[in-house]
Amino acid sequence: MNSIRAKFIRSEEVKYISHLNLMKAFERAFRRSRIPIAYTEGFNPHPKMVFALPLSVGVTSEAEYGDFGLSEKLSVDEFIRRLNEQLPEGLTIIDAQEKDTKDNIMASIRMASYSINVCCSRAMGINQMNALLSELMSRPAIMVKKQTKRGIKDTDIKPMIHKLELQAGDGVSEHYQCKGNIYTIKSLLDAGSKGNLKPELVVEALNKASEEEIKLVGIHRTELFIEKEKQILRPLIKN
Amino acid sequence: MTLKISDDILRSVEKPSRYIGNEWNSVHKDANNVDIRFAFCFPDVYEVGMSHLGMKILYHLLNERDDIFCERVFAPWVDMEQRMRENNLPLFAMESHDTIKDFDFIGFTLQYEMSYTNIINMLDLAGVPILSADRSEGYPLVCAGGPCAYNPEPLADVIDFFMLGEGEEIVNEVMNVYKSCKNEGVSRKDFLNRIVNIEGVYVPAFYNAEYNSDGTVQDVKPVEDVYPSTIKKRIIKDLDEIYFPDKVIVPYAGIVHDRIMLEVFRGCTRGCRFCQAGFIYRPVREKSPKRLLELAKKLEDSTGYEEISLTSLSTSDYTELGHLTDELIKEMEQRKVNLALPSLRVDSFSLNLMEKAQKVRKSGLTFAPEAGTQRLRNVINKGVTEDNLLNSVELAFNGGWSSVKLYFMIGLPTETYEDLDGIAELAKKVVNKYMGVPKEKRGKGLKITISTSSFVPKPFTPFQWEPQDSIEQLKKKQAYLKEKLKNRFITYNWHEPELSLLEAVFARGDRIIGKVLIKAWEKGCKFDSWAEHFKYEKWMEAFEECGVDPYFYANRKRKHDERFPWDHISVGVTKKFLVAENERAYRQEATPNCRVDCSHCGVAGFGGGICIE
Repeated sequence: MNSIRAKFIRSEEVKYISHLNLMKAFERAFRRSRIPIAYTEGFNPHPKMVFALPLSVGVTSEAEYGDFGLSEKLSVDEFIRRLNEQLPEGLTIIDAQEKDTKDNIMASIRMASYSINVCCSRAMGINQMNALLSELMSRPAIMVKKQTKRGIKDTDIKPMIHKLELQAGDGVSEHYQCKGNIYTIKSLLDAGSKGNLKPELVVEALNKASEEEIKLVGIHRTELFIEKEKQILRPLIKN
Repeated sequence: MTLKISDDILRSVEKPSRYIGNEWNSVHKDANNVDIRFAFCFPDVYEVGMSHLGMKILYHLLNERDDIFCERVFAPWVDMEQRMRENNLPLFAMESHDTIKDFDFIGFTLQYEMSYTNIINMLDLAGVPILSADRSEGYPLVCAGGPCAYNPEPLADVIDFFMLGEGEEIVNEVMNVYKSCKNEGVSRKDFLNRIVNIEGVYVPAFYNAEYNSDGTVQDVKPVEDVYPSTIKKRIIKDLDEIYFPDKVIVPYAGIVHDRIMLEVFRGCTRGCRFCQAGFIYRPVREKSPKRLLELAKKLEDSTGYEEISLTSLSTSDYTELGHLTDELIKEMEQRKVNLALPSLRVDSFSLNLMEKAQKVRKSGLTFAPEAGTQRLRNVINKGVTEDNLLNSVELAFNGGWSSVKLYFMIGLPTETYEDLDGIAELAKKVVNKYMGVPKEKRGKGLKITISTSSFVPKPFTPFQWEPQDSIEQLKKKQAYLKEKLKNRFITYNWHEPELSLLEAVFARGDRIIGKVLIKAWEKGCKFDSWAEHFKYEKWMEAFEECGVDPYFYANRKRKHDERFPWDHISVGVTKKFLVAENERAYRQEATPNCRVDCSHCGVAGFGGGICIE
């Protein structure tokens, strides 16, 4: 079977759509586009598509991925053009490649990077913010209450955080939801079926560690990473 | 003023996608480049409103015009309403997120009586005065249409004008008059004066309601001779010729009817005596299979929906159903699109069609015998026999179905406990039919669901004179059935009698009931059709405080010569015919369906559909 792996953007317009409804939106876009997507067998056939990692409601992304099975051969350019014509505003395919392996994108996801916008009082200057991040990361363990398969448990999330740093900027910016300073934190976190850390929990940990309140304003996913032959890679090979 | 709904608000409410808009095929225009802004309001939540076919038709019909921008508005769910009120965010339209207070028109579709408190609440949320008389120049004109508009009186003080009947033509006529009025800068009253003689337009403020000392209506008559004394509904004569959208909005979040709805015909030939739809939508007018296939293909191309359903009051009465479904299945199968068959009538159920539908997907089957004995089925003119039903379920069980729903009504005129016994016996006969089918042929896990709704007498039906059973009577009957239907294969569902009482009050209400409506809303009533929000005690307080007796409206038997609050409205069916039908009901006499013989109901006067075929 022919298969295509595609990278797409999910922006503001569609950030409140659940994962299930996103899949439905793709299914309907495929039907409109007449792209020869492959269907499963049975009474209730549905298109063969697998998405990398569900996005929490309210989060935007510039790096979503999906694997799409085709019943007939179709060029990658044609796939992108025809699908983009039929995708609703806020969803755009930005890259795609023919997939030559059998590996499933969902199973191979290991990490995700996010830009996290937080809001805090004017008292929280850039130096204080940097200090807070270093202090947190120098701790032997970062304990938060995390939803696990066996209920809510105190969990050490430190091993799941691979990077946590402040993006350059002085924190002073205008934002309709923030009357204080706004900071963007860049993070690289565990993601996927082997262990998944939601960026919301990182903000929670930061807030707990800080004397000033740190409020979440918005999250934006910037990249996903897969593991292939023990290497951490981007899901699409860079040309 | 442009509103941006903040993430803070959206993150804090259930299902934020209800409020975002921007779905596939939604229409966006530059509001500065149109003459008329129209807020099409459905007085319930997004998932319910988005499932309504009439809104889809009129939304796209109005937006076909360059001079009109029609947007959708739904009732925000209680959590969102609370956040809106806390943040002084007025009711907004889905497309532009602009507040609808600045629109030219606010139009409500009246699909069920228990949505009326939401109308009041939506006007209030929009910052628009609730009473027509309190709306000065500059406020939007508030209009309404839909099946409940045939008795407009409970909303007479709220709505500026009603459009009665099918909307495709009348709404454009009204918009044309408005456009010139707006250019000339005429007053609201002058605009209403200019549309009052358009057939189907009813301006309640131009009519006075007078009452007799016993509380019945004496007359509702025009204050000026130039206003029509009878307002006649509109129909579309040729459904093949009239506009039907070739695209519909594809929502992100699941809505109640999340599929293409192909309207096969309007009206119904049957004349079941309790059914308002069977009379108000007359005459039957079909679309041709050619037109339907063309529409189905276009709609499928433009939406990408995975399912298409046929909609109409009694789809299996469509004269070319076999031909149509053959062609549809052929076309849709290759597109991996399901054909969903609606609840089919027991008597016209064919093995053939069942098999065809099964090829695509198999789901539960629904039958509506409505009454438990042949005697009572004759009273209500439901031309279905027990043999019809049992033969059909036998076919279904042989075909592998094992889940069957049976719909009945309780509290019908002349009903006795023998009729209730009939429901229980019928259910047991269905179980026996299943047991009679060889194990290897029938599906596993027999599941029979018996649902009873409570009879609500409706205007323009042969039962409009009839009393509704009291709450106590209905509860007793439900308890009786519950006991009789104790069986491991049978599930029994029933409707809350308190809600049915209110439906009965509003269905046959007059202008006095409108005051109770506003009082109940002031006490916090809204989303009454949602069990978790229905506040019966508050409603009873409202009746009490207004000095209105709900039982006078719901449980009183009327004399045939009583003047009804809706007698100045004409749906084409004459009162004389309805009286004759009422009398036939008591004689248990069937009335043939329109295809067999014309019963001279009066609708032929419209000169359309089956009456002239």
